[in-house]
Amino acid sequence: MSNMSEMLKGVLEGIVLEIISRGEIYGYEIAKKLRLLGFEELAEATVYALLLRLEKNRLVHITKKPSELGPPRKFYTLNERGRQELAEFWARWDFLSERIQTLRLEDSKNEF
Amino acid sequence: MSFSNEIREKIKQFAREQSRHYLEEAEMTYLEKLKYKTGQLSSKVTANLAKLKSRSNLSIEAQNDLILYISDYMKELMEEGLSEEEAFERAKEEFKFRSETIESADLQKRFAQYYENLDPARYEAIGLFYAGFMFFGVSIGALIGFLGSGGKEMFNAGGWIDTLIGVLAGGIIGIGFGLISHGIIVLKKKE
Repeated sequence: MSNMSEMLKGVLEGIVLEIISRGEIYGYEIAKKLRLLGFEELAEATVYALLLRLEKNRLVHITKKPSELGPPRKFYTLNERGRQELAEFWARWDFLSERIQTLRLEDSKNEF
Repeated sequence: MSFSNEIREKIKQFAREQSRHYLEEAEMTYLEKLKYKTGQLSSKVTANLAKLKSRSNLSIEAQNDLILYISDYMKELMEEGLSEEEAFERAKEEFKFRSETIESADLQKRFAQYYENLDPARYEAIGLFYAGFMFFGVSIGALIGFLGSGGKEMFNAGGWIDTLIGVLAGGIIGIGFGLISHGIIVLKKKE
């Protein structure tokens, strides 16, 4: 779907946290998963920048493993703070989607 | 699949340049970004970041992450049939730092200010002041030079040089007045 980037700005962190919560994963794999989910429009660099931010905000646990390309590869898992942040994200999401859905249904009722 | 030495060096160089920007953005808190946007904190934040980077391994780590990231991306493109060079060019485009908070924010702010202050009537007025004063200066200078040198009889006998000097001096005086009126308009706009 096109023109998603503005809407995604607020929720991308939550989506990435959810992907990381499923199990140990490295940066480029996250980008691939996002593409498979249909977010093709996302720039590769967005995920890289987001991971730096997650790391800085100490929401992830990092394990470095040797890579065939030289520098060690970082594998991410959620730490306690990350799990808490993810739970808060889903709570916010539920609240928002419920309200939007209510608005949408009210609107369509009024039309008839 | 591995890369040639030349491409490997290019990736390293690119990662070195770009990771700095990503790191700067990640290091700033939300409030710092807001302050940065309003221009209150840019020098302080930049100085702090410079200190932080010089004494930590963060920068190298960020570079390494970006190198791996770009390499993975390029490998995928090459598996799809792109050449090494083509894949690198695509990666450069994709990973080039774009931020709304640091460089582009400054640039956008300056563009916005420029367009906000852009008033075609003001520029037209400035141009008319320059032209008007120039005409005044040139004609008064020419007239003084012409009459002062002895008028029509003396013009062909060397008096033309005085007229010419008068024209040049008048032109310079005209530009001077034009500059003064330009300055006054700019100051009035600032108020």
